[in-house]
Amino acid sequence: MRGRWLFVAISAAGLLPVVAFLLIILWMGFWQGSPGEPVVYTLKHYQTLFADPSTYRTLVNTIGFASTTVLVSLVFAIPTAWLVERTDVPGKNLIFALVTIGALLPTFFTSMGWVFLLHPRIGIINKLLIEWFGLEQAPFNIATLIGMGWVEGLGLSSIAFIMIVASYRAMDPALEEAARVHGLGIFRTLRYVTLPLTLPGIVAAAIYIFTIGLSAFEVPAIIGMSNKIFTFSTYIFYKIQPLEELPSYGMAGAVSSLLVVLALLLSWGYFRMLRFSHRYAVVTGKGYRPRRVELGAKGWFCAWFFLGCYFLVAKFLPFVLLVWASLLKFFQPPSWAALEQVSLYNFYGLPWNLMLQGARNTLILMLSVPTLALILCLAISWTVLRSGLRWRLTFDAVAFLPHAVPQLILAIAAVFAALFLLHNAFSLYGSLAIVIIVYTISRISFATRIINNSLAQIHPELDEAAFVGGLPLWQVMRKILLPLLKPALVYAWLWMALLCYRELTMASVLVTSQENVTLPMIVWGLWLGGSLNQAAAANLVVLAFMLPAVTLYLIFGRRSRFTEAL
Amino acid sequence: MISLAGLRKDFQSGDQAVAALQGIDLEVNKGEFFVLLGPSGSGKTTLLRSVAGLEKPDAGEIILNGKTVYSSSRRISAPPEEREIGMVFQSYAIWPHLTVAENIGLVLTHGRARLPKNQAAERIRRSLALVQLENFDNRPARLLSGGQQQRVALARALAVNPALLLMDEPLSNLDARLREEVRTSIKKLTGQLGITVLYVTHDQVEAMVLADRIAVMSHGRILQIGNAFELYRSPANALVAEFFGSINWVRGKMLDGQRVESEIGPLVTETSRRYDGAVVVGIRPEDVKLDDAFNGVENRLDGNVVSSNFLGDQVIAEVKIKDKILVAKVSPEKERLAGNVAVQLPRNRIVVFPETATGEPVA
Repeated sequence: MRGRWLFVAISAAGLLPVVAFLLIILWMGFWQGSPGEPVVYTLKHYQTLFADPSTYRTLVNTIGFASTTVLVSLVFAIPTAWLVERTDVPGKNLIFALVTIGALLPTFFTSMGWVFLLHPRIGIINKLLIEWFGLEQAPFNIATLIGMGWVEGLGLSSIAFIMIVASYRAMDPALEEAARVHGLGIFRTLRYVTLPLTLPGIVAAAIYIFTIGLSAFEVPAIIGMSNKIFTFSTYIFYKIQPLEELPSYGMAGAVSSLLVVLALLLSWGYFRMLRFSHRYAVVTGKGYRPRRVELGAKGWFCAWFFLGCYFLVAKFLPFVLLVWASLLKFFQPPSWAALEQVSLYNFYGLPWNLMLQGARNTLILMLSVPTLALILCLAISWTVLRSGLRWRLTFDAVAFLPHAVPQLILAIAAVFAALFLLHNAFSLYGSLAIVIIVYTISRISFATRIINNSLAQIHPELDEAAFVGGLPLWQVMRKILLPLLKPALVYAWLWMALLCYRELTMASVLVTSQENVTLPMIVWGLWLGGSLNQAAAANLVVLAFMLPAVTLYLIFGRRSRFTEAL
Repeated sequence: MISLAGLRKDFQSGDQAVAALQGIDLEVNKGEFFVLLGPSGSGKTTLLRSVAGLEKPDAGEIILNGKTVYSSSRRISAPPEEREIGMVFQSYAIWPHLTVAENIGLVLTHGRARLPKNQAAERIRRSLALVQLENFDNRPARLLSGGQQQRVALARALAVNPALLLMDEPLSNLDARLREEVRTSIKKLTGQLGITVLYVTHDQVEAMVLADRIAVMSHGRILQIGNAFELYRSPANALVAEFFGSINWVRGKMLDGQRVESEIGPLVTETSRRYDGAVVVGIRPEDVKLDDAFNGVENRLDGNVVSSNFLGDQVIAEVKIKDKILVAKVSPEKERLAGNVAVQLPRNRIVVFPETATGEPVA
């Protein structure tokens, strides 16, 4: 095949940075130094880490936070998935659309909304309850592990929902019907058949969510950090951007290495569980629709009451609070007095020049990152599935790594490389280029998975027929594979563009100057600077910019593909 | 035992409503092995699933064992767990997370009967003995072969002592050799138990071997009900005739009495109905007689052998009569047939149906 090595070379170019970043992280853990000083290698960071009680506190915090996240997301996702897949509840398309929008709503956005709702000092609900019942103390506190887990869990419930729906769909509905016809009622069928059979899928979803929770950054950064509650992600962030001391890349490297090991172990557990659940999956010969449980009018009411509360709490309430906050100079609960103060003051006061720069950068990211990622991943997928190369499975494994390695850590590795390894050759630090590179690398797993799934369904004889006809590889790609892969590529491109838009985790360490500032970073900057109401206003502006892209996604991205990427 | 009246069901397919059942009336007697036969999309599975309660019809009435389980006018719709049925699914629906014994035990201890453990154990033992799986009780069900899963599914369906056994293409996922074996044992077992069976299949041989009576379905309607011999020899219409084996169709025009002027020549038939105008005449390949010379018999035609294939137990020959080619199945006296032959079509084997405008036989 002419042109084969070009494809392998492009894949390697995409995957080498992944390996390099991992090695850099491990290396960082033993490294000590600052610009202009000789570098020393030491075990000191690990010693400090294991001797420091705050490490263990952080560990406990992180596990508590991640567990709450799992619990909250499953409590909402499992019933919703069951209602959609196994009952005659009306409005299923609406539910799917709301869930998709929920998955796209930036977590930093909802986090701020929840602070306005339940913060012990300024939260509306707390203030009202204190006023009405003459309480001495605020009854709720969002700035706790449970509170943070609640917010993160609501955010991730969309992903949990999609995963659990997938495990329902993988199950032969006749298994439940067999229980019903032989005398088991709805609830016994649920308990003895549906639940045990979907359990591996649910456990897999739980592990997946837990892994995300372990390294989740936005909620701990927005709610936790100002209240001195650290999880591993904010702990690492604090080590490289401390308020007082010098940055300690060595400590960040040591913690990151541990977190990477943990995340890899969890990913292994996730795949084991997934394989376990596939053992139960039976492909039915018939395309009949499974029997839907008939809920009746009362059941519909209860179902929509639950769904309504869920969507209200998870998506709508934070949004309303942000709107309210953005219209006020000083945050306060709604009242006649407060209504008189409503103005667009916060919107006028936004740093518009910076916002424009941020919008420009974000737009460049949204266009370049998905495109680059797709080019790399097309080459990777082709190498893995079609090249017949002996090393192709290694390519596949490496392409999976960005999925398991926390994104914050990828970004830190890149910043470290830019500061200490490449600073003589290129000046990447603080440039838009480094943001593009890291964002692209972080999406490799997602895009490879999508393209792999689609490419695997295209019979190799289709391209072999073209080779036999004398077409070179790049022409086969252009004329045969690209047109056939087009729906998957369009979907993946749009989804990655949207993720770029809402990305804060990686930006938090990559964005260090006006030159490469992004919109979410401006929002976060205002928030950290204490201008909460302005941050709310900025957030709404950002969301308004995002709307056209979301609309495009809902039109062109097929929802069913969502599941392939998990 | 089963009594269906005016059963209707529409499916919403996109914006269009597709009629799956268009007013089905059916009576199945106690102890009868009743087969619903039809091509895919004929509504036979929808009918079976409606009886099971897995599908809710739009209108009509279903009475099982004297109890009304569905009635649109009286707003009755009993859920599946309240109907006294056992069911074998096409995919067997053996619960993969349970052992063989647990698969049967679950429906005994948590189903309609709610038996105590020791009674259930005895019943499990007996059901497994019934399908010759005595020593499989502790085997994880998902490790069984397809044939074994099929037997567990049957044991589970029978364990609940159902008044009615429903089977949805239970043999379609087995290989040909096993299919024959299981077919025979199903026939024997249900005969011994004297249980009423409603059985869905698209395989006419399966239907003929198993059934006391068969209902042939197409497009949500029952075309004809009868035993295998009646359906084969006296089909009610062309579709039924085509569904049971191959048949040669010849266009023609009905003359007086039972005579037809056909495109291959004048034919005498025994049809009891009169059709005005265009008809089609059907005759099965095995009923087309060939010889060197038939003399002095009715329905004798001159033909020419176009092709001939020796298949061991028979010879399949294509015979051209005028411009029409008929397929004949004859006993293999010679390796091949060739040249001019005399063809005879026995009058009692000829079926006659009216022809539609498109030239196709009317269903």
